[in-house]
Amino acid sequence: MTSFIHVEGLSKSFGQQTVLENVNFKVKKGEIVGLLGPNGAGKTTFIRILNGVIKPEKGSITLNGMDPASEGDRIRKISGIVTESAGLYHQMSGKENLELFAELYGVKDKNRVAELLDLFDLKEHQDKPVGKYSTGMKKRLALAKALLHKPDILFLDEPTNGLDPDGIEMVLTYLKKYNQETGTTMIICSHVLHQLETICDSFAFIENGTIAEQGTLLELENKYVQNVTVKVNTTFKPQDKQYLGFPCSVVGESIVVFELPSKNDIPQLLSSLLKNDPVYSLTIMNNDLQSIYFKVRGV
Amino acid sequence: MGTTISKALIKKDLKDIFRSKTLMVTMIIIPILFSIIFPSIILGGALLFDAEKIAGNDGQKLIDAFLKSTTGDEFSSYNLEQQMIYVFINFMLPNLFLLVPIITAMTVAANSFVGEKENRTLESLLFSPISIKTLFLSKIVASFIPPLFVSIISFVICGVIINSLGYPLFGELIFPSGNWLALIICLSPMVILLTVLLNILISARVKTYQEAQNIGGIIVLPVIALMIGQVSGLFLLGVQLIILISVGILIVNLVLWSIISKHNDRYVLFEKQIH
Repeated sequence: MTSFIHVEGLSKSFGQQTVLENVNFKVKKGEIVGLLGPNGAGKTTFIRILNGVIKPEKGSITLNGMDPASEGDRIRKISGIVTESAGLYHQMSGKENLELFAELYGVKDKNRVAELLDLFDLKEHQDKPVGKYSTGMKKRLALAKALLHKPDILFLDEPTNGLDPDGIEMVLTYLKKYNQETGTTMIICSHVLHQLETICDSFAFIENGTIAEQGTLLELENKYVQNVTVKVNTTFKPQDKQYLGFPCSVVGESIVVFELPSKNDIPQLLSSLLKNDPVYSLTIMNNDLQSIYFKVRGV
Repeated sequence: MGTTISKALIKKDLKDIFRSKTLMVTMIIIPILFSIIFPSIILGGALLFDAEKIAGNDGQKLIDAFLKSTTGDEFSSYNLEQQMIYVFINFMLPNLFLLVPIITAMTVAANSFVGEKENRTLESLLFSPISIKTLFLSKIVASFIPPLFVSIISFVICGVIINSLGYPLFGELIFPSGNWLALIICLSPMVILLTVLLNILISARVKTYQEAQNIGGIIVLPVIALMIGQVSGLFLLGVQLIILISVGILIVNLVLWSIISKHNDRYVLFEKQIH
């Protein structure tokens, strides 16, 4: 399958400061990719280059077969973006904002604005100036703005920043649903890694201006997680610092942590424990996105 | 598509201008000052006091100087007071009046790009499929319309005041003269466009509205004032020369537009304006 986004050897610097260096990146059509990295790693610059608003110095980029440098307007027609600042007109009402951007993106469907206001629970506040919106409402409106023209690709820079737990749940669930229904490709930048774990199909780690690693969670886990640390909720009390040859320690009431060479050792550990004691739960502690993120970064 | 986008942007900008208290105050106070207060003081003063007596010999000298360059039997038939008022209304007031479109255009145009940048909405515009030419053109039109209307309205108000206060002195309607018509039809729109283009050029480069206004005040205003200073003599020389100067400014405007469209691509605008 050919890539929807294909980036090879991309570099960009501002004056003396190198922001991106030799970036290689691929995204399949319909995929949701999490773009992860610390502040200043170059995520936002990368998204801007993909949208053709910043000129790259080196490298080749194609997005749906188009080059952002020469076919920027065609790319911007099929792409929707939620920037960190939301980019809304605060003196205008929510409805006026959407109506303006609908015209800028050439949206013909007259009902689209009302439909999105309804979908993001903003109908009640549609005539209020956006300056008076809460952060969550602004984020929802920015998302509605990005979806106005039913884009083929959606760039989301910190889409859940400033949202309360209900808002986060609503936005993430909607994004996943929208992706399943429409097959829209999505690139999501975020610091809140656990939020991305369930929604993204794959992840790209950007570190010091380059993509340090890219893959699905399973691929990354196989590559980076050799030893498995499991937390077991059980009545078992180890007499020794080892159990079945696995190092273990008690970390709380009814909680024992075991270090296993691989996750294939879990069934053996469990069956042995269950012979004498009940086991209420078992959690792998170091195969989540956050642990892998720190391993990739070598922290 | 380009026209729809332009219309949407112009409509948005015009609405914004009317929503902004600072811009509205400037657009109200400046015309009041130059088209109501100044002519009222001069004509009202003439009605109340004896201008001939106050001006004395100097007044006569000034009028004689003007007489040398102007022709017309009508003017010679006026008494000194009428001549003084006539000179003020037709040769001096137009210079001051030109400040109405200049100042309003400066205020509105300086805000155009920097305003978007300060509200962090320029990013949204640059991420949308608008060509940079359409963006600049829309900004120019949106900055051009309010000063144009303000100057036309000021012209009408000024005319009403001059004629209503001048009628008891002259026994006839003295406004608008050919100079005034050439001013409002040709010179004023060209000067507005010049101010708008210069300010938009600056506004697309600087980071804050204050910076745009400062540079506007330091560079643009003196340049235009100098030009107007040079031009002021032209009100004495008549309608043809005003039209000729307007054509000259039109050429400068076309050059400025070509500079704006050549040196502002999306990359430049984005890297200069967005962090």
